[in-house]
Amino acid sequence: MKKRISVILMTAMLTAALAACSSGTGSGTSQSDAAASQADTAASVAADTSATAETTDAGETEQPAESELEGEITFWHSFTQGPRLENIQAAADAFMTDHPKVKINIETYSWGDFYTKWTTGLASGNVPDMSTARAGEVVEMINADAIIPLDDLIDSIGRDRFYESPIQEMTYTDGQCYAVPIYSHAYVMWYRKDLLEKYNLDVPKTWEEFNAAATAITEGENGEVYGCSVPMGTNDNYATSFLDVYVGSARESLLTQDRKPNLTSQTALDGIQFWVDMYHNNSPADSINFNTLDQATLYYQGKNAFDFNSGFHIGGVESNTPDLLDYIDCAPIPTPSGDGNPDYIVNNMPMVVWKNSEHPEICKAFIEYFYSPDRYIPFLHSVPVGMMPALKEITNDPAFLENDTIKKYQNAMETISNALSHGTYTAMEYGPCVEAGILANQRVIEGMFQDIVLNGTPVEDAAAAAEAQLLELFSAAE
Amino acid sequence: MPVKRKTISSLTSWLFVLPALLVVVLLMLYPVTSSIFYSFTNKNLIKADFRMIGLDNYKAILTDNTFWTAFLTNLKWTAASLLGQLLIGFSAALALNRIKKGSGIYRTLLIIPWAFPSIVLAFSWKWILNGVSGFLPNLLVKLGICDTTPQFLSSAALAFPTLVFLNIWFGAPLMMVNILSALQTVPQDQYESARMDGASPLQSFVHITFPHIRMVVGLLVVLRTIWVFNSFDIIYLITGGGPGSITKTVPIYAYDTGWGMRMLGKSSAVTVLLLLSLLFICSMYFKLLNRWEKENA
Amino acid sequence: MKRRLHSRRGWLGNTISYVYLTVLAIFAVFPLLWIILSSVKEKGELTQNPTAILPQSVTWENFRIVFEQLNFGTNIKNSIIIAGSTTLIAIVISSLGAYGVVRFFPRFGKLMTRVLITTYMFPPILLAVPYAIIMGRIGMMNNRAGLVIVYLSISVPYALWLLVGFIHTVPLEIEEAARVDGANKLQVFYKVVLPITAPGIVAVAIYTFINVWNEFLYSLIMINSSSKMTIAVALRSLTGQEVLDWGVMMAASTIVVLPSVIFFMLIQKRIAGGLAQGAVKS
Repeated sequence: MKKRISVILMTAMLTAALAACSSGTGSGTSQSDAAASQADTAASVAADTSATAETTDAGETEQPAESELEGEITFWHSFTQGPRLENIQAAADAFMTDHPKVKINIETYSWGDFYTKWTTGLASGNVPDMSTARAGEVVEMINADAIIPLDDLIDSIGRDRFYESPIQEMTYTDGQCYAVPIYSHAYVMWYRKDLLEKYNLDVPKTWEEFNAAATAITEGENGEVYGCSVPMGTNDNYATSFLDVYVGSARESLLTQDRKPNLTSQTALDGIQFWVDMYHNNSPADSINFNTLDQATLYYQGKNAFDFNSGFHIGGVESNTPDLLDYIDCAPIPTPSGDGNPDYIVNNMPMVVWKNSEHPEICKAFIEYFYSPDRYIPFLHSVPVGMMPALKEITNDPAFLENDTIKKYQNAMETISNALSHGTYTAMEYGPCVEAGILANQRVIEGMFQDIVLNGTPVEDAAAAAEAQLLELFSAAE
Repeated sequence: MPVKRKTISSLTSWLFVLPALLVVVLLMLYPVTSSIFYSFTNKNLIKADFRMIGLDNYKAILTDNTFWTAFLTNLKWTAASLLGQLLIGFSAALALNRIKKGSGIYRTLLIIPWAFPSIVLAFSWKWILNGVSGFLPNLLVKLGICDTTPQFLSSAALAFPTLVFLNIWFGAPLMMVNILSALQTVPQDQYESARMDGASPLQSFVHITFPHIRMVVGLLVVLRTIWVFNSFDIIYLITGGGPGSITKTVPIYAYDTGWGMRMLGKSSAVTVLLLLSLLFICSMYFKLLNRWEKENA
Repeated sequence: MKRRLHSRRGWLGNTISYVYLTVLAIFAVFPLLWIILSSVKEKGELTQNPTAILPQSVTWENFRIVFEQLNFGTNIKNSIIIAGSTTLIAIVISSLGAYGVVRFFPRFGKLMTRVLITTYMFPPILLAVPYAIIMGRIGMMNNRAGLVIVYLSISVPYALWLLVGFIHTVPLEIEEAARVDGANKLQVFYKVVLPITAPGIVAVAIYTFINVWNEFLYSLIMINSSSKMTIAVALRSLTGQEVLDWGVMMAASTIVVLPSVIFFMLIQKRIAGGLAQGAVKS
């Protein structure tokens, strides 16, 4: 009898052990195999030689590249779907073919969870070797002493090949640069050509014109299409972006120069009032809880006439409502007066290497490899116009321009390219700082908007309260 | 010889309870004590160094209006969800117990919600209730019941009741199944004799059915109170506590504090308070249950 | 006279019962039906015609995407392994423990029950970070066995608590008879107690399995590799930042929920065995 019971117990233990052991396999997923087979070997060989050429240019600093790379790294990114995911996997597979002793494990998380993952991971000593990050988070990572400077990598790739502003943006007060941009995008004003035509409207240049146009469309379409949805969901930082779009258009910042929240300046108050009015008049009631995705989907489906977003909108429309592709376009952000260049929200998607990594050299070698044209251009093409190159020479590379979408949306390309050189990430106008990250990621501004809309709190009071709350968070972070 | 035998015997007695003790003590002790410890510190989630700050966290929380709002929401959320689950579960069980044909099919259909993992529950209901292209809002407009699509998950008036409805939808089957099986243990002859005595169905429910099943119901309520009071997934995945703070319960508040603001110390203090209030509520329940148990005995 | 009144009342009661149950059943089944129907609709139809119930044309495109892009088979397998082994171990530990407490340490039992109920009350979110830290320290992060251990700590307390009640229902005389026949403690437990309490044990096991199967927070925090993720977290990662494809999400939901619905239908008689019955006696 005892035997039978011990058999039961054994089985139980075995199952647990099974759960532990069968972990080694996997990772090389089926989709990656498919993508890898597409990648042609000749290209990867060429890429490799060009990468080595760069390395020798850089000189002695990069001597580990001489010895064979060996080890296993984990790479977290948040491109959870579609061709981008496949492109990165294909690049990793090709890199592993070139360096047979290297293993790259790629894991993906949705944006919201990504944050939970790395913070908890840091608390438990469980972070990846390299990862993407949100621009606002990099400073936090630096502050937590979690990531390493990448100046040697940047010099090895060629510092002058990068656009200056992203590198500047990621350079901390200690003068070191802690991230490399893998692509850039900027928020511009998206509109619907057909609707503007239908209601005889010009592309708005001032906020007043914008309001008039949105209102005309909302009224004319009678609920079928909204003039401009205003997203205020606290699961995302989109309301902050909208406010920043407005404030930036007056060339002001949500942070003061001495890094205090700046929500009660006249421009900020005007901006808050503007979006609250816009919400009441031209936005679906649901948008009070919209996150980035809900908001974008509305435009993809042709139910939103104006939106502020990057070139990713083209891909979204293409996969949701292809019929609309001929009717979408973008323009510079309106400004209060109608002239002058607005300050855009520019997002240079950072890639960072974690301090915990045992193989920073592999991470760096892989990043460098990723920038080779044969890898990098297909990656950028996976969201054409949406992902703009971080390397100058790629922008004019015929191979990059040779893409149907990029050719079709010439105007969007120009508008966004121009925007890229006139802006920073939210609240980073005076350089990267923890405060900017808190302001962008703590949802205080979203809470403020919801408070105004739901409780009818006066704009001045709500803004002052939000400012106080942010100040408290700022001091807690020190 | 008998002494040795006794030692062996008590040794095997210990062997029975040892694994369970180990799990409870080892697995719970460290996390719980460390959480309580953190609640007296200013520990930041992503920074290594911290210092003791005494009761500052508790002071800060107890003077924070948002916490009290969340606490009130938590009480309402628990009470409304439980009452609804109990009401639906109970009535469905009574109906199932009554009908002769098809009770198997109905029971099968009615437990389907229980099979929904919270993430699927969130996906499917968010899609059904989507304010732009969801089925239900558009149906209500089409039927002329509403002028514009109702915003179930994002209007200040509807978000909380909708979440409670979803929690009832998910939790009622568990109540139903257990109450039904309890109903089936009530001796039928007692009903017969009550009917002979001319008792109304209500009377026989009050005097026969309820006393028989109240312990089951009571324990179910305790079990579910604990579960719902601490529940995080459903709200986090569906509204995240919004719009505003309308659906923000204490676990969501703790999450926002711990992860959003990275104040692990403060967030630990929040959850300790959550635990204390739960202990208080449950001790009340147990008082009642003990009284019932004595009456039954 | 009385009899006739009764049968009329019975007829009315039956009708009300059927109507009521039908309404409830519609509510219970609709979401399942709706995700299945949505998963086979064409993209345009999904958003353009929200109230149409039946799809104009059936497409398997969404399912193709789900299976090509996501490694759903692996995730389902992970969930089964993790929920299955947690349940098995939790039940073995708790039924032994429950029996031991009831029979050998009855005085200590009252205290233990209190402690157990208290541990069951710990908010999972309270323990999430400490678990992550301790699992990180012993190298069990991103490890399915590590997740099983964490799940054990939330499963064993209430399983034990419920099982204590079931063990109480076993008549002492039967056990004593077996003891007289020379069976030792383990044999008594295995031969006498287990069969009597089997319905209760199965019910507790199912309850444990379901709770673990549905769990989201710990699974999100503890597991990093997609090849080790449970289905709940894998599904969650479908909500990308720039693309939200309801069709694909519905297809994935269908894949996840259909097997568990079928499982439920198969075991529903067992669930009806009832958990609370045993707990009454504790």
